Amino acid sequence: MANDDTPQNAEQPKSMQGSSEETPTIAPEDDATAPNPAFEPTEQDEPEQDEQADAVSEDPQQGHEKHEDHGLAHTMPIWMMLAVLGALMALTILTVSVTSFDLGSEGNLVVAMVIATIKAGLVVTFFMHLFWDKKFHLILFLTAVLFVILFLSMSITDRGEYQHNIDLYTNATTPAVGK
Amino acid sequence: MSESISPAIEPKPGHRVPAPAVHEDADHGGHDEHGHGAGPHLAHHFDTYQQQFDAGKLGIWLFLLTEVLFFSGLFCAYTVYRGMHPEVFVYAHYFLNTTMGAINTCVLLVSSLTAAWAVRNAQLAQRKLLVLNIAITIACACTFMVVKFFEYQHKFHDGLLPGPAFHPTEQVWELDAFKKKHPEAAEYAEKLTQLAEHKGDVSAVAGAIDLTRPVTGKFERPTEAQLEPLLKAGVIGPAAEDTTRPSKPRNAHVFFSIYFFMTGLHGIHVLAGIGVWVWLGIRANKGQFGPKYFGPIDYSALYWHLVDLVWIYLFPLLYLIH
Repeated sequence: MANDDTPQNAEQPKSMQGSSEETPTIAPEDDATAPNPAFEPTEQDEPEQDEQADAVSEDPQQGHEKHEDHGLAHTMPIWMMLAVLGALMALTILTVSVTSFDLGSEGNLVVAMVIATIKAGLVVTFFMHLFWDKKFHLILFLTAVLFVILFLSMSITDRGEYQHNIDLYTNATTPAVGK
Repeated sequence: MSESISPAIEPKPGHRVPAPAVHEDADHGGHDEHGHGAGPHLAHHFDTYQQQFDAGKLGIWLFLLTEVLFFSGLFCAYTVYRGMHPEVFVYAHYFLNTTMGAINTCVLLVSSLTAAWAVRNAQLAQRKLLVLNIAITIACACTFMVVKFFEYQHKFHDGLLPGPAFHPTEQVWELDAFKKKHPEAAEYAEKLTQLAEHKGDVSAVAGAIDLTRPVTGKFERPTEAQLEPLLKAGVIGPAAEDTTRPSKPRNAHVFFSIYFFMTGLHGIHVLAGIGVWVWLGIRANKGQFGPKYFGPIDYSALYWHLVDLVWIYLFPLLYLIH
């Protein structure tokens, strides 16, 4: 085998360069697709799309062409969108009404941020399809969040370090109390 | 990524290489170089609709990533400044209209729903519903900008401008929002101001608002309800600009710089979104989107959700300061 491979590998690049001439390895594949005149590249993806196809095919109005009952991405059902909107609205009302209660100087901010983060989570998970989407997109998004957290926490830490100097400056430049 | 790209690349040799026996290739041979090899919306540098869609989706996610980091600079400014000067935020929030902020939050949430719905419509080739949902999204975005316009106009009118232009026409304790929340403190601040202005009793007023000094005969020791809201808003006390009378906190203008930059940058994103949706609405009306080609709608909806996401944080941070 080893002896046979060497000359083949050496020849292949030449035949590839020779414009449209086919290499022996591709020829069988071509034969398989050739008899099908309606060949379209999208057909290759169909087996992978089966689990996603269910959501699409529920709808009677869909696809007028043969291959279109297989979507490229997840289709969100209407009830889910309305439920997410309802939850977001409820949380908005909650976050507004909670400001009239005193939960301590930090308490209100923490509650407001927790509610905002839940809302953001709902939007990202459902409206932005990350629940069904490729995990790589989730990783991308979480990377951005991670770097924002790093950015903010380092800035806050740094601010804490020079607070003393700011206080000194402020006290030195503030006009004396009216006497 | 490799898993998504590899199946799309596979058909390449079979598809591109001309084979005279196949009818399909004869059709496409002539204009294969200039795009639309396999369909009206499949760009020539993609082999499949799936590949085209995935590439676009990755692209928009990378863009959203930069957007998150872009906005984070302003959120950082906000966080650092709020940590340093909490009184400035307490002071400034009385000037903001929570109702308008809440209305805008709801408007944006509804537009997010219609954007998500539009994606579904495009996927299912529901042309009329798609155009309708895009139209509602645009209408919501315009409503948001109109509300924003009136908010800004009100701020400009009241001298609440960023930086050196900051000259509020009203003191914080004169505002209805403050009076409603802290009636006693508002009254007390009013009394002190009148005393300082009309009677020129500067020293007595200064004594009354300086907790480190004994209260002179003219004033009874103020109650906590009278003092605390004023202290927290930087009207009196160590953070105040003027130590002889009720005033505003030092650097109050910085809040309005942050406010205008954050809401302004967000507003620019909303305007850009309106432009994109108008363009897509026209294309949708021509029936250009369907199960194989709905990428532009999906990507724009993702962008629109991110704009909504930023506002979800801006609203409590700017309008709901306790």
